[in-house]
Amino acid sequence: MPDSRQRVPREGVKLFFFLGSIVVFLAVLALMPRVSIPLLLGYVIFLIISPAIPTLEKLGINRTGAVWIVFTSVIFFSTYPFVKIVPTVTSEVENIQYYLPKIERYVVKNYEDFQFLVKEKTSFELGDKYLYQGLEWVRSKTTRILLNLPTLLASVIEWVFLIPLVVFFLLKDGSIFKKGILKLTPNRIFERFYFLSHQFNKKLGDYIFAKFVEASIVGITITSGLLILEVRFALLFGLLAAFTNIIPYVGPIFGFIPALVFALAEYGTGTTLGAIIILYLVANAIDIAIVFPILVSKVVDLHPLTVVASVILGSQWLGVVGMVISIPLAAAVKLILQEVYKEIYQE
Amino acid sequence: MSYEKEIKEKINGHEKLPERIEISVLKYFWQSNPLVGRKKDTIPRFLRKMGVFSNFSENELRIFAKFLHHRKFSPGETIFKQGELGVGFYLIFNGYTDIVVDSISPESNEGQGGNRHILTLEKGDYFGELALLQETSVRNGSAISRQGCELLGIFKPDVEELINTYPLIAAKLLQSVSLIVANRLFNLTREVQELKFKLSSYEKDANA
Repeated sequence: MPDSRQRVPREGVKLFFFLGSIVVFLAVLALMPRVSIPLLLGYVIFLIISPAIPTLEKLGINRTGAVWIVFTSVIFFSTYPFVKIVPTVTSEVENIQYYLPKIERYVVKNYEDFQFLVKEKTSFELGDKYLYQGLEWVRSKTTRILLNLPTLLASVIEWVFLIPLVVFFLLKDGSIFKKGILKLTPNRIFERFYFLSHQFNKKLGDYIFAKFVEASIVGITITSGLLILEVRFALLFGLLAAFTNIIPYVGPIFGFIPALVFALAEYGTGTTLGAIIILYLVANAIDIAIVFPILVSKVVDLHPLTVVASVILGSQWLGVVGMVISIPLAAAVKLILQEVYKEIYQE
Repeated sequence: MSYEKEIKEKINGHEKLPERIEISVLKYFWQSNPLVGRKKDTIPRFLRKMGVFSNFSENELRIFAKFLHHRKFSPGETIFKQGELGVGFYLIFNGYTDIVVDSISPESNEGQGGNRHILTLEKGDYFGELALLQETSVRNGSAISRQGCELLGIFKPDVEELINTYPLIAAKLLQSVSLIVANRLFNLTREVQELKFKLSSYEKDANA
């Protein structure tokens, strides 16, 4: 074929350009957190609310109209909670600095009592290196969060403007961006790339939506329960429980420990403590027995062992963020491996 | 004196005229007017000419055209290979496409027969329709661009999106694709019947 000599480099160049732009894009995202965080958060919100658009389009509303309706209603319904929650959270976080030394004293005193008891009974002296190290870690982390609070609030204000912008344009022009990327895709990998990226986006969207609903249910249950019990920092503990719920298996425990320690220090071993423990148990039981099987497990069909392994790997690489993103990443890897497997073993 | 009068007088007096816009620039702007552009309408018009989409209304074709991917292939470039997993249905918008099958001789398990050219498709033809209907579709043959071609492809994700946003158009598309498949199945059944008949007559001859 006389033309094949001419063809090969062009295809190669296309492939190189395409993969190169993906690498550059990822590098830009990794190197510029100030741009990438609002972009990624906007993308996550886009994935959560975008299923509403086709539903409206089916009713005969055109795309731009549907985007405006969804967008304005999301803004409308999120403004009040946002305006209400952010100042409360800020003041609560600032209040923690007064409570923390109290909790610390309580923990140290109890540990010393326990140490004394053990020594008396077994004449074995328990070390307290880890305790003080742990307390020091908590103190330094909290101080850092408190010191960074103004900066964090400043970036939150920046996000308040940026994220809706990103979400709006993703909703409105998402299909144009998609077409643009697909235009760049070389013919050789087009079908596979399109299908895989579509599958991945769908899985990611479903997963994020499911997790969002799950976290909201847990957060709302715990916040309202703590408010009824008149526990201090109800909103903070509720938010913490909601956020840590995103991490599978260990997350709920992370969410529970601070509340447990605080309740012990503040209310002692009484009915309030019992009520708090029952509340957390009930909230997690609802999550494990009802929400998780209906929503999440259908989306991500990973074996529990895979989940645990990917969470551990994620925490090792990227800390808490790694724990949160490990599951969708593992799902993506599984998807790609399945495709490769099919490619190799089919026929 | 107005500026226009001034220029008129200059023209009448054969004086030097001030700087002016080139007409070709205006012409460019006129031609880039979205209402004039011919290019925008070509895909729906092309689809209109195809028999398989005769059940679509004009507006439905216009919407359907937005979901199609316009792909260009250079001469000799492979569109898909036999045995690959496929997710797309292609319409030939321009040029020619060769359908080639690796003929596997029944005696040997490995494909030794080499490429066998089955047919050449031209503008207005289509191929790969099974990929839209099957759960995991393996391509039965390879498609290769001859002298370069332009294809309009619709893929499984697009069909999913069509079902969600324009269920009526999706239903019509699937009806058209089913029609193609049904016609092929009908022809195949006939061919198999004929072959069976021939085979049985040969067997009879051999026994006699």
